[in-house]
Amino acid sequence: MKNKGPFTGGLSQIQLIELDACTQCGECLKFCPVQDVTGNPLVSPPEKIRLFREFIKATEGLKARLFKPSEIDPKLLEDFVKAVYECTTCGACGENCPVGIFTQRLWPMLRKEMVRRGLGPIGIQAKMPEAIRRTGNPYEKPAAERFSPWLPEDVKISEYAAIGYYAGCTGAYEAQPMVRGDVLVLNAIGEPFMMLPPEEEVCCGFPLFITGQHEMLEDLVKRLVDAYASRGVKTLICSCPCCVNIMARDWPLLYGKDLPFAIRHITQSVAAAIKDNRLTIKEELRERIIYHDPCYLSRGVGIIEEPREVLRSIPGIELVEFDRHGLNSRCCGSGGAARKVFQENAIAMGRLTIDEAVEKKADKLVLGCPACYAKVNEAMEGHDKKIPIVDIMELLSGLLGKG
Amino acid sequence: MASSTGLFLLLLAYMMYGAFMVRLFIHGRIWLRATVRHDTDPSRPPSESCDIWARTFLDVLFFRRLFTSDKILWPGSWLFHLSFLFVMLRHLRYFLEPVPDCVTAMQPFGVFAGYVLLLALASVLCIRLFSGKKRYVSYSNYFILSLILLISLSGILMRNFFRPNLLEVKSFSLGILTFSPEALPSGNLFIVHFLLALLLVPYIPSHIFAAPLVLLDAARREKGLGIIMHEK
Repeated sequence: MKNKGPFTGGLSQIQLIELDACTQCGECLKFCPVQDVTGNPLVSPPEKIRLFREFIKATEGLKARLFKPSEIDPKLLEDFVKAVYECTTCGACGENCPVGIFTQRLWPMLRKEMVRRGLGPIGIQAKMPEAIRRTGNPYEKPAAERFSPWLPEDVKISEYAAIGYYAGCTGAYEAQPMVRGDVLVLNAIGEPFMMLPPEEEVCCGFPLFITGQHEMLEDLVKRLVDAYASRGVKTLICSCPCCVNIMARDWPLLYGKDLPFAIRHITQSVAAAIKDNRLTIKEELRERIIYHDPCYLSRGVGIIEEPREVLRSIPGIELVEFDRHGLNSRCCGSGGAARKVFQENAIAMGRLTIDEAVEKKADKLVLGCPACYAKVNEAMEGHDKKIPIVDIMELLSGLLGKG
Repeated sequence: MASSTGLFLLLLAYMMYGAFMVRLFIHGRIWLRATVRHDTDPSRPPSESCDIWARTFLDVLFFRRLFTSDKILWPGSWLFHLSFLFVMLRHLRYFLEPVPDCVTAMQPFGVFAGYVLLLALASVLCIRLFSGKKRYVSYSNYFILSLILLISLSGILMRNFFRPNLLEVKSFSLGILTFSPEALPSGNLFIVHFLLALLLVPYIPSHIFAAPLVLLDAARREKGLGIIMHEK
């Protein structure tokens, strides 16, 4: 693989300026979840930026211009690839960056550059495009098993409706209580909603985007958008923060124009339904619960209040907060597809979330992301601290009463 | 006529400023040649508003973001940058003839800023080195901070103990600007101070130019985050 070509091709102007704006102050390390569990500054945000600057300098600096670009030390590239893929892309570094670098977007773009050079992705991530091509999902599970294990028979799914529901691959295959809760709550609201047939509800593109493998994105997005539009959808509801993030931020660009429908996170629709008395929570819950903000929902698309509105509307509930919450929430370890390769990190980060929830004497840890749900549950296996973990819609659906 | 040391410093000054300009040009060229010129982020607010500019202004002038994330480092860091600016402005009197009234008027503040600079820098270095569990050691960052510390220290020593002939200093500085070399002022400390300042020039951190643009973008993004999933 030749590594003499420019490294700047796939970056936007502001991202190139961001690379120059990093002061290397290291403030972000205090907020980096990977640092929390590895303590290794070599995989820290400023080090990634420093290395990438070195690559730019070697290929586009004065010496490279006057003479010829130098071959980059493969060890440096290897270190960079490891650092950029070990990151959970949670964006806490950017949120706390003194100059405001948008790292939640910068890291995936640097990964894309590594993919372009044949250096990324790493490990099992590389199998995702083929798995999605074959089965429509990155887990390579059959489409026939996408909905059937969890979709309740008494929930009415329309073929055509103004409201569409997208379950998402991780929810459908790895966090089924979550998506089951979603459809139960939507059903209780009573407005007709549709879902695509399982073989048509393909991956939203996020796992490919986040690992830098952008080739199939446009095709996936066009298939999904056209499928929903042809069934009369005006509002597409989804509970997965990663899916919602790519839908709201990138689908319009990948589709080539504005989407023919609005994207809504499920807590937005549910909070509105509770407010309008279209949904009534009949049972009370005298418990102290703690809610974890998913990174791609809070920092990603600014959904912070709605999940809390939903939870506060449960009679009897006491809501406590993590020390770091809202825009400043700490990643539970599942982000950026890093959990698929750096499993030990993900487990250790998940346990930090569990530990804080237990320390705050919460009765339940409420999550709102299928990846968090799967990984934090996994992190609790063999851990000395225990707490019941529940998804926000799973919790709510159990309090709606019979009928 | 300049001595051989003076000529060396003169040539070095042109080289260092040349290197700085080339560096600036290359960075600017890379920015301008970006293939993805326009950010298509849908979270971008539909129009610019006063609060975005106000927020950027606060971010640039008062380091609001640093204040939010690290209240211990903030005072030292903010005072360091502010006093550095004042010290630079004070030094304009060596490069301008006649000296503008405003530059003359701010001289006492500039002198005071020199002491603040030293203290603020020392506090930043101490906090970075001795506090907090997680430390990131950026050698280039520490190199620049150490260089400024030495420049500042030599400046204070000159101001209080080893004063050079200021008329000589001024004619030497103006000689550089007008490409008409003048004799090097007497005093070894001046040579050290000037040499260290020249060493700093090509290493002036790129964040000084890039950070305000990124802060503006961050302010737009923060504003836009509230509308991306909500009614515009």
